[in-house]
Amino acid sequence: MPNSFSAFDRPLRRRSFFRVAGAAAAASTLVLSGCGDPGTTTSAPDPVLTLGSADAGLLNYAYVLEQLETTFYKLVLDTPPADLSAEDKDLLTQIYQHEIVHREFLLKALQSAGATPLNTLEFTFTSLTLTTRAGVLAAARMFEDLGVAAYNGAAKLFADATYLLLLGKIVSVEARHAALLHDLLQPGSFADATVVDASGTFAGLERSLTVAEVIAEVNKYLVIKVSAAGLPTS
Amino acid sequence: MNLFNIISELEKVDPEIMDRLSHRRSALSALGSLGKKMALAAAPIAIGSAFNKVLGQNNLADPTAVLNYALLLERLEYSFYDQALKAATLTPTLTGIARTAIETIRGHELAHVNLLKAALGAAAAPEPANGFDFGGAFATYPTFLTFAQAFEDTGVRAYKGQAGNIPRDFSPTVGGATVNVLTVALQIHSVEARHAAHIRYMRRGPAAGAQANIMPWIVGKESNGAPAAVYGAGNPVATFPAEDNIMQATLTLTTGLGATYSAADVSAAFDEALDNTTVTNIAKSVVTF
Repeated sequence: MPNSFSAFDRPLRRRSFFRVAGAAAAASTLVLSGCGDPGTTTSAPDPVLTLGSADAGLLNYAYVLEQLETTFYKLVLDTPPADLSAEDKDLLTQIYQHEIVHREFLLKALQSAGATPLNTLEFTFTSLTLTTRAGVLAAARMFEDLGVAAYNGAAKLFADATYLLLLGKIVSVEARHAALLHDLLQPGSFADATVVDASGTFAGLERSLTVAEVIAEVNKYLVIKVSAAGLPTS
Repeated sequence: MNLFNIISELEKVDPEIMDRLSHRRSALSALGSLGKKMALAAAPIAIGSAFNKVLGQNNLADPTAVLNYALLLERLEYSFYDQALKAATLTPTLTGIARTAIETIRGHELAHVNLLKAALGAAAAPEPANGFDFGGAFATYPTFLTFAQAFEDTGVRAYKGQAGNIPRDFSPTVGGATVNVLTVALQIHSVEARHAAHIRYMRRGPAAGAQANIMPWIVGKESNGAPAAVYGAGNPVATFPAEDNIMQATLTLTTGLGATYSAADVSAAFDEALDNTTVTNIAKSVVTF
């Protein structure tokens, strides 16, 4: 069968997932975490969503990232800043379409693996400036850079090479998106020192981030936070 | 990393090691007590193709061969940009921000060459004796960018094609640091993708003919003047489909995801891998080395 991957034909072992209906979650389905937001005086622990474990958890991790991106692009394209050009909008629309395909494909992959997709997320982008072209492109650039670093770091964690190869097909497209957004903001910054080491032993290598580092970033835009506990770390 | 030393050390511990490593499972259980990292560092020579997944026409038997293949591609790319920056034919046109961008890319390719050489140590293959001859690639600015797009997009496909050939816990010591080779390969791979996107972005500019139809990503298998093979299928086709592929993991994504998505968007959303034989043939079709 062309392009057939056996991983899609067998369920994965996984821990139980928690299904949560958005912000109005039933408390019984929540895992409680002991750490509140730093800098706040809240004593009540925040509810946390879990990704699961092993390959299914890593697929959910990718799925969360793609949901973050699609939700962001939809918001931006629904209410674009006045100074966003027609060409900008066309390019962002194409990127948005790619991200939707990634998101829906990962959903299918999770379902095929017998895992529970974590798709009850509620995002908030109020901390970002999305009323100007520069603000929108900077935010998009940040999310695309984050996605590439996340996939670079997660690849070695998969037990099944099928998923590694599929993520490999996605990550270079995210890198193309990221490079374009860099160039749209500042021509020639497609692979600047913020994302590619300029010197030292690892010169010429793009950033790679751990699951924990990426989730800490993603949680800034989630109403109910996600926990990376349970995902493989090596 | 000196692989030969590791092998001889392993043989001192287990004189029959060469006989007992016939396939991956027995290799790992036989070597479990010695630590997986050592075992996998030894894999290139002790185990050979036992660790190699059957991924079609990739005939690279071990991580050393994979790294040397990557080294050849990086040397080719470095030489290409170095020659471009020194080409008299491009002096009037490759200027300003465009020249700076090519210098940035050349710097990355040189860094990749140096890193791969460090990782390979004594196992690094020598440079091609006569260097690389790119023929008429530097005749004009648009021609140069067409070749650049071909090399970068091929490079992205080449790295992707080897991801399954690198043991995931192969983590030798390079320059005093422990590095995971698969992660490093991906960290190079995404940089090549950024280069490809930027070269394509440059081709949209007025100096290169304002080709607004060229996107930073690959739509269908449009080659934009580059050799068609860069975007074509590898061998076997089932494993290495052409860039216009719309099927992933047995799913047809245009119609199989609950809504309808265009073939252009679906094909652009996934970059496809290529086997090393096809990649090498593409390189040899446009470069003499």
